[in-house]
Amino acid sequence: MAAFGSMSIAQIQQGLTNKEFSAREVAEASLARVASADEKVHAFLEVTEDLAYRAAARVDEAIASGNLAAAGPLAGVPVAFKDNMNLEGTHTTCSSHMLEDYVSPYTATCVKRIIDAGGIPLGKLNMDEFAFGSSTETSAFGPTCNPWDLSRVPGGSSGGSAAAVAAGMATMTLGSDTGGSIRQPGSFCGTVAVKPTYGVVSRYGVVAFGSSLDQVGPFARTVRDAALTMNALAGRDQLDCTSQNVTCDFTANLDQGVAGMRIGVVPEFMNAAGLTPEVKSKIDEAIGKLQDAGAEIVEVALPNVHAAISAYYVLGPCEAFSNLARFDSVRYGYCDPGHKDLGGQYEGSRAKGFGEEARRRIMLGSYLLSAGVYDKYYYPAQQVRTLITADYTAAYEKVDCIIAPCAPRTAFKFGEISDPTEMYLSDMYTISINIAGNGGMNMPIGVGADSGLPIGAQLIAPAFKDENMLRVAAALEKIYGEAPVAPAFADGKVGE
Amino acid sequence: MKKLEEVLKDWEAVIGLEIHAELTTLNTKMFCGCKLEFGADPNTHTCPVCLGLPGALPVPNKKAIESIVLAGLATNCDIEKHSMFYRKGYMYPDMAKNFQTTQGPVAFCMRGHLDLDVDGAAAKERPAAAGLGVGEEVENITGTEDGYVAHVGITRIHMEEDAGKMVHVGGGEGRIAGATHSLVDYNRAGTPLIELVTEPDLRTPEEARLFMQKLRQIYLAIGISDCSMEEGSLRCDGNVSLRRRGETKFGTKTELKNMNSFKNLHDGLAYEICRQAEVLEEGGIIYQETRHWDPSKKHTIVMRVKETADDYRLFPEPDLAPYDLSDEFIENVRSRMPELPDQKAKRFQETFGLSAYDARHLVEHRETSNFFEAAMEGADAKLAKPLANLIINDITAYLNANEVKLADTPLTPERGRDLVKLMAEDTISSKQGKQVFAAIMEEDKDPAVIVEEKGMKQVSDTGALEAVVDAVLAANPDDVASYKAGNTKVQGFFVGQCMKAMKGQGNPKLINQILAKKLNE
Amino acid sequence: MSEQYLDEKDVRGIAEYVRIGLTDDEVAAMTVDLNNVIETLKPITEYDLEGVEPTFHPIGDLSNVMREDVEVPGFTQEVALSNAPKQQDGCFLIPSILGEGGDR
Repeated sequence: MAAFGSMSIAQIQQGLTNKEFSAREVAEASLARVASADEKVHAFLEVTEDLAYRAAARVDEAIASGNLAAAGPLAGVPVAFKDNMNLEGTHTTCSSHMLEDYVSPYTATCVKRIIDAGGIPLGKLNMDEFAFGSSTETSAFGPTCNPWDLSRVPGGSSGGSAAAVAAGMATMTLGSDTGGSIRQPGSFCGTVAVKPTYGVVSRYGVVAFGSSLDQVGPFARTVRDAALTMNALAGRDQLDCTSQNVTCDFTANLDQGVAGMRIGVVPEFMNAAGLTPEVKSKIDEAIGKLQDAGAEIVEVALPNVHAAISAYYVLGPCEAFSNLARFDSVRYGYCDPGHKDLGGQYEGSRAKGFGEEARRRIMLGSYLLSAGVYDKYYYPAQQVRTLITADYTAAYEKVDCIIAPCAPRTAFKFGEISDPTEMYLSDMYTISINIAGNGGMNMPIGVGADSGLPIGAQLIAPAFKDENMLRVAAALEKIYGEAPVAPAFADGKVGE
Repeated sequence: MKKLEEVLKDWEAVIGLEIHAELTTLNTKMFCGCKLEFGADPNTHTCPVCLGLPGALPVPNKKAIESIVLAGLATNCDIEKHSMFYRKGYMYPDMAKNFQTTQGPVAFCMRGHLDLDVDGAAAKERPAAAGLGVGEEVENITGTEDGYVAHVGITRIHMEEDAGKMVHVGGGEGRIAGATHSLVDYNRAGTPLIELVTEPDLRTPEEARLFMQKLRQIYLAIGISDCSMEEGSLRCDGNVSLRRRGETKFGTKTELKNMNSFKNLHDGLAYEICRQAEVLEEGGIIYQETRHWDPSKKHTIVMRVKETADDYRLFPEPDLAPYDLSDEFIENVRSRMPELPDQKAKRFQETFGLSAYDARHLVEHRETSNFFEAAMEGADAKLAKPLANLIINDITAYLNANEVKLADTPLTPERGRDLVKLMAEDTISSKQGKQVFAAIMEEDKDPAVIVEEKGMKQVSDTGALEAVVDAVLAANPDDVASYKAGNTKVQGFFVGQCMKAMKGQGNPKLINQILAKKLNE
Repeated sequence: MSEQYLDEKDVRGIAEYVRIGLTDDEVAAMTVDLNNVIETLKPITEYDLEGVEPTFHPIGDLSNVMREDVEVPGFTQEVALSNAPKQQDGCFLIPSILGEGGDR
């Protein structure tokens, strides 16, 4: 059977149009692929067979009536969602014992838009618990393995979303990014991975981590597939006050090349301690190739960006503490049995329902917001945010897009990093973009000379100019080729 | 325990109020489109937002923001153009998100004030008002003819959301103590709520009650809430402290809860003032604590002691965009401001020549002021005073006794006017007037018909009256002698005898005149 | 060696506030972890931020986002309670809340 999850959106839709296969066959084959390949990867927490067949039936009806377009721009595309996205009737666990039995009574706007666009939902994807982590190791249901090397992490927190695409199980998946949770796993697994500007995609129905930082975006193997997904996702949602009216066609300038574009390079990023030589050399190489392709390379300074990581570890936990207060065993979620008083039930449920990292961030956030401490950390962190945003704004007077490493290194082995503060550094290149709110994405540019593992360039766009980074990504894709399915999963293989 | 008047001679009570009003006249909740409805089956007006489901996001109700701006304009507040919502964290099972979405240091409405007319017995609670001349100012009050006006500052009015409701099962009287478990209903969760906080400018329980009453009238007039204290859509907490007269430093305050009627507000505060005075006079200490007023036992009990200030982990709500209200928005709200009770009372005084007292009481309820205006439509201005009396006394008493709305009774404004007119023209006596009023309510007939049917017409024929007077005087020679000896009080007895003889239909004014003439002949 | 920002008593207090029951061992470990993390936040406290306005909302000039006062169908009681750990009579059921310190 064809490996539809390895196909692009255009390939699938061409096959559907030419009646080479039906949407039902896409669903069937994709579900079978998940069943076999995911034994090794463990990207999926739940497979939504019924929903997949129902979505496929709608697409097949449209084809039967001679109008595939009526089924939407993503008609027949096998997709899957990070498990912090509500989809009515499915479990939405956030990879936490707290929500192990929680069944969504409603659907997130981003999920709805993908399904309305004709996507075939295969299931829900593993993640770090409540998105707290960079490796999926904090998932209460076991980690996801990197399809490029099953002994390594896929990155996180959207590790399942990245791995599902890298292993050819889905053409496209959705993830969420609070400090790098789309881009870093995209880098580790070698997929195109887009974190749009804050406000481009509705957050309604996506379980919140850091409300002022979270943004939803796609994983795909081609830039065009990511852009097509962005078209379906973007735009004002009445249910999210922070979503904005975006009507841009993200595919419009993919073929324009980078000639005449000004692309920024940030010395603070390229010279940072912790950046491994193989990543640095690949990024340098990509910069050179973009220059060869006609881009003007301009050095830009982001003098305050070094404060981003500490600002992030103030703001993220503060918002997370507040967002996770609702998990109290009253309306939903894990309820520790046998307590005669609510206080005991609260404390037992939250102690056993939340994993270690979640408890750590909740407690940190609560401390940072407490009287007297607020003025020392939270308020200055929001002031630092002003400075970092201003840095980017100033940089974008000189350039149309910035190129930087996405992660300082390639995927690490399970258990290799156990110190939480060291783990936090794997987001050192991605965090400042969430602080400022603009868009950033990972673009795979081949594998490292030392590790043989995927390396990604991070492309960073001005706020609400996400099309700029997609344009540069498309140029890199021309140079480096489309992101491949991980070798052990290519051509229908399942991790052999 | 000493009586309140005694206590307030030595101590000054410093009272501030926190008044919550649910915006019950809106269709939907504060941050979601769920219907606002009191008394529905539990958890039938809920959605991801008001149940605090993971992933849900709030979207503010525009009408609620307009309502709070209207409330601010009606209470002389400055409208802050730039403000934000904040998250106020505390875990409690009726709070679906375990934080309340409320406002921070800057509320939509800041720095307002209301003036209270305090007169009669109510004015006597404030020692400083004794002997105060008209226009004379002392503390924050200005003397009036029969009392004083108190100028009460409003710190702020902010927008927030209400919590759900809990029923405690297994204990006595639905109390938490003794309950084995509780049931939570989130229908009320997310109801738009505005909280008004006063400056500590109130000095007596009467002033607190009057403030609450006046605010209620304003909220009803601008139509933002049904202000039902029984159903909890208008709620009041009081902060009370005492200090020796002349002292400028504030004492330790207690917070008083469960004052769910005007009477409870007054009595709860009065009790708490007396309790604090007793503690202080015995050399004790007032602890900063929350106390619960128990109206049946007529005392306050401790709910919890606040050892340290509550730490709510307050921070700006990231899910909600900040507010930047335009002049246009504010002016648009202002243009919808109806006539407020104070303005209406002033107009009643000017247009109908009513006393300040009558005018103020007429505007206390919209239904009575509307009734008054409708009845006076095209009527002689002379009818205003008797009509006001009818409304303030008879009608109000009837409505209270029968717990009905005026609109649900047979008394139309036309019938009210006709009744007053019959009395003013001496067609019937005021005593007969009361009978006619009762008959209208019972029989649903016009006053003229009732008077006709009952043959109630007042006899004002001088000849007929003189004959009756003559007969009465002739029948009581001893009393006539007594009168002539200087005991003029017996005239009342003669009037009574005359009325009795005429089955109550004689014109008492004329009978008196004739009696006086004949007895002094 | 990082500075001691919180001792075990502080951490116990925070755990109580956020209603997470921790064992003594967990408190000890959490104390170490939190102090380490807070140490990494030091740059924030050392920054010269005189006169810098905070950015609470990273969304530019977005303001006054509101909806009309129009009813939207919500959940039935059954759906509202579908994830309830315990329920009774159409309500969410919780054990005794005595001692919760609520003052309503």
